[in-house]
Amino acid sequence: MSGRKLWRSLEEYQQSEAFGEMLKAEFPSIFDLWTVDRREVLRVMGASLALAGMSGCKPARSDDVVPFVNRPEGFLEGRADHYATAVLLDGYAQPVIATTSAGRPIKLDGNPEHPAFRGGSTPFMQAAILDLYDPDRSQAPLMGGHPASWADFDGQMARWRDAWKASGGAGLRLLIGPMTSPTLLRQIAEFRAALPQARVHIFDPLGGYGAEQGALLRPRLDRADVVVSLDDDLLGPGPCQAIHARAWGERHGDIPADRRMRLFAAETTPTLTGAKADRRLGVPPSRLSDLAEAVAAAAGIAAAQVRLTDAELAWAKLAGKSLATARGRSLLSAGRYAPAAVHALTLQVNQALGNVGKTCEIAPAFGMVAGAGETFIDLVRDIEARRVSALFVLGANPVYAASGDIDFAKIYAKVPVRVHAGLHVDETAAISNWHVPLPHALEDWSDARSPDGLATIIQPVVQPLYDSRSIHSLVAGLTSDAALSALALVRQTWGGQLADGAAWANALKTGFVEMPAPAPPAAAPAAVARAVRNARPDEVEIVIRPDPTIHDGSFANNGWLQELPKPLFKTTWENVVAISPRLAAGMELKSGDVVRVASGGRAIEGPAWVLAGQPERVVTLFLGYGRTRGGRIGTGIGYDAYRLRTFASPWSAIGTVKPTGGHVDLAITQDHHLLDAEGANLVRTVTPTHPSAAIESDREQDSFYKPWPEDKPAWGMVIDLDRCIGCNACVTACQAENNVPVVGKDQVQRGREMHWLRVDRYYAGEPDDPETYFQPVPCMHCEQAPCEMGCPVHATVHSPEGLNLMVYNRCIGTRTCSSYCPYKVRRFNWFDYTSDAPRPTEAQRNPDVTVRGRGVMEKCTYCIQRIEGATVQADIENRPVREGEVMTACQQACPAKAISFGNLADKSSEVRKQRVSERNYSLLAEQGTRPRTTYLARINREDGDGE
Amino acid sequence: MPQIFARTADTWLRAIALGALVLALAFFLAAFAFARSQYWDVVARTPAQPVPFSHKHHAGDLGIDCRYCHSTVETSANAGFPATHVCMTCHSQLWTNAAMLAPVRQSLAENRAIDWHRVARVPDYVYFRHDIHIAKGVACVECHGRIDRMPLTYRAKAFEMKFCLDCHRDPAPHLRPRDAVYDFDWKPPADHAALGRRLMAEYHIKSPAELTSCGTCHR
Repeated sequence: MSGRKLWRSLEEYQQSEAFGEMLKAEFPSIFDLWTVDRREVLRVMGASLALAGMSGCKPARSDDVVPFVNRPEGFLEGRADHYATAVLLDGYAQPVIATTSAGRPIKLDGNPEHPAFRGGSTPFMQAAILDLYDPDRSQAPLMGGHPASWADFDGQMARWRDAWKASGGAGLRLLIGPMTSPTLLRQIAEFRAALPQARVHIFDPLGGYGAEQGALLRPRLDRADVVVSLDDDLLGPGPCQAIHARAWGERHGDIPADRRMRLFAAETTPTLTGAKADRRLGVPPSRLSDLAEAVAAAAGIAAAQVRLTDAELAWAKLAGKSLATARGRSLLSAGRYAPAAVHALTLQVNQALGNVGKTCEIAPAFGMVAGAGETFIDLVRDIEARRVSALFVLGANPVYAASGDIDFAKIYAKVPVRVHAGLHVDETAAISNWHVPLPHALEDWSDARSPDGLATIIQPVVQPLYDSRSIHSLVAGLTSDAALSALALVRQTWGGQLADGAAWANALKTGFVEMPAPAPPAAAPAAVARAVRNARPDEVEIVIRPDPTIHDGSFANNGWLQELPKPLFKTTWENVVAISPRLAAGMELKSGDVVRVASGGRAIEGPAWVLAGQPERVVTLFLGYGRTRGGRIGTGIGYDAYRLRTFASPWSAIGTVKPTGGHVDLAITQDHHLLDAEGANLVRTVTPTHPSAAIESDREQDSFYKPWPEDKPAWGMVIDLDRCIGCNACVTACQAENNVPVVGKDQVQRGREMHWLRVDRYYAGEPDDPETYFQPVPCMHCEQAPCEMGCPVHATVHSPEGLNLMVYNRCIGTRTCSSYCPYKVRRFNWFDYTSDAPRPTEAQRNPDVTVRGRGVMEKCTYCIQRIEGATVQADIENRPVREGEVMTACQQACPAKAISFGNLADKSSEVRKQRVSERNYSLLAEQGTRPRTTYLARINREDGDGE
Repeated sequence: MPQIFARTADTWLRAIALGALVLALAFFLAAFAFARSQYWDVVARTPAQPVPFSHKHHAGDLGIDCRYCHSTVETSANAGFPATHVCMTCHSQLWTNAAMLAPVRQSLAENRAIDWHRVARVPDYVYFRHDIHIAKGVACVECHGRIDRMPLTYRAKAFEMKFCLDCHRDPAPHLRPRDAVYDFDWKPPADHAALGRRLMAEYHIKSPAELTSCGTCHR
């Protein structure tokens, strides 16, 4: 047990009055209503009475039954089908198992067969299904902004094709978003051969627009005992998150002490990696190179002349020494945001320590390698020089995501023929001559590589919803008039390896296929130290990062991801300017105060967020917001951090930050659903020498309640806080599985977000350099549930298997259960959040879960639909439910395997074993609720360990 | 000053008060009776179908097994509606020119589904499963009645919660050996109670407490 004080927000740390009132409020979600006047109350009451009368008038359900004309073989109505395929993130495959119900894809989960992902999910992977049903997707070709047909487009293409054939493609350029598709790479090679005058450029905003970084290392976290990260967010959002988190999970929790991974993280802005590190260090970007040199020196690789603070030097010494003592089992990793010099040094250190080939590999170039004159800046120069007559932008949005020093909208307009292909009519489509819709990854054939190098054949799991055409068919159409389907083109690529029908079928079934790795890119020229200007005293360093939930802006119209609290700030629906507590205090800034951040003559204005652990004179901006054509929910929210980016230095800048005097109300979830107890009691920590998490009084309390009978299954859950990385994959998975509605910013501000599972974030220590803790909180399914005692109509009752059930039809909406619940896990439908959802989104809903109406309470059910499904199947076969047969959605999604679920009455079950672990403890055990969900305390390093 | 109320006013008042009470009572009784009526439960009504399909003819007179058309009844929550192809296995040979079957032929020719009207249904918030009921020896006729005697299909039982609970509270009298589940003419043996007890044990039927737990049917 640590005696450290834990706090949830700076308001709590400072013990502000408002925080105390919020904590004591009986109904925090209507806390602000007490401030309205009497007339307002009467008006609201009158309106709700009128609505109450109307909620009984619902249209009758259709009685129609529409059977097949010819039932497909193996199809069972009422049973879900599963297909192995992949969705894309930054061009990389994220291998998934897609679940379809009656032909509709309803859920994506990590592919458990995949050797690297092993079933792990990320929020992006889970939420990709909602993008399929995005109501604002492009549905038909547009010519000059007006609807056109594919026949029109094909006619135009035929004329262009003839001209290119004659000129060898002179003036024709392609600009392609990040991709790793072997088929597309083959097509591009063929395109280059057919039209030697044409050029292909790559547009990768999160790859730093292809700025030379030299050889990057691909970490193999599963093989590393000591990991030192130099601003590398290994556990953070991105295409590798699930892979790294899986490795992380295996090296944490109840494992032998020598298997445990030690993680040192230096970071220029707080990340999930820093939150989980044994030793974290906040460092401004300007000193990262020096820090790398100091680490290398401490590891005995090179001498260093560096200027660092004492804390930085101490961290570097410890990290370097730890690296050196674990030769061949250690890893020094530099983030893609780090300068080339740091990457070069990292490679040198790992080579010297014999780590290369063991804990890391030289990363091969899976995507397109831009040849001479084929970067994005080359395209810009060529357009300026009037050398480009036709530009095809395929799956990219450069008008929005080009760096601010390139006014690409203006430059783009200089190209006579502009064709855009994408999922949305976005900023680029709006000023193109032609826009054509691309299919979602789940709608058409393709292929891609996952970051580990395996390829996945992407098979469609649904007929295209709209009249779209695959990127493969479009590229083929540039040189050939034969209308080729994506399937034919993909099969052509795999003709040698998967010519055999059985091999092809097997590749589709398993969801991955071996593929030889391409050669690593040529090592970058010896790192030329870029002249980094030091910030003047009135300036700050600016760090630019992708948004944790909206990424580069491509998820802007995804409601699940907009409403998903950012893992560290718990803000939703907009991006913030992260600012350190000291800098904020110096400028008398609070979170939500609008600041103006200026650099290089350009400026943005956004709400400040005082972020614990942020290096003092560093502000962090997040990409992905400020869209002008981002769809119905993605447009016009947040600020556009791309404006402050420069092509030469996409991840950092020097600039100024000033308060504007304005203030906006942020939609923050961090102070919602507060548990009224000392933080240290809620999130417990142990050390290897003090492994017991329980306070003595927690154990074996005398009680008048009878113990739970052990003759029936007793479902229970254990959450390992040592493994949890706070990534929110569980929250998104729960939302997808259980038809949890999106409520919007206004409702989130009132504390009415509907997530059945929340991840609480706690800090310990000083705001300048805190320790960060994550705690997922679903319903505890208390054996002695207070909510059940509160309900006047028995709408929440207990099942014989120990589930705390919610009977929606009985619920009359008194919300007593919610106020009785000490864990604050109950969610109330203040409005009808579902029936007005735009058209195609309803197709995503899980048919096995009730869609809740207005005025009823809801909460985590332990995925009762999955329990019932498994129980019925076992019952048909006259056997008990097997261990592992029931997985909750959150458990299945967790990439770090932090959640176990199963039958507590079965002594051999995993969950039972964890339950008797010394680290096991209950939340608010003193309340006597006997929760079925318990926690395993986080294992902290011993104080003074390694010093 | 004249009297405002006549002598009989008191009597009138009492009569009206009594009348109002009787009316209110009658209204509630009528509403209650209506809620319990076959009309409200949609029992014994034969909705217009695109083809006047006769279960009496197919299942009763011809003796076609239920599973020939409702093929997923043992493997899925849904019993399954026959695809047009299933109808046409026979009707490509028999009654090939019957006007009555024109919609079926048309469906096959145009590859367009036949739009039937559901007769037996439970509300959306009830997660009923056919497979488990068949596996536990609950016969088709328990819920669907003597479908082999229905020239036009109608709902035989009121699918109200009470109907489900009657059986979930005391399943024994409603159980049959599994091989008799599709048998319309099965007669219980003399010692029906003993059979019920035996099947309860053999099929591992759960306790009424478990069977009537809300989560069994609602989630």
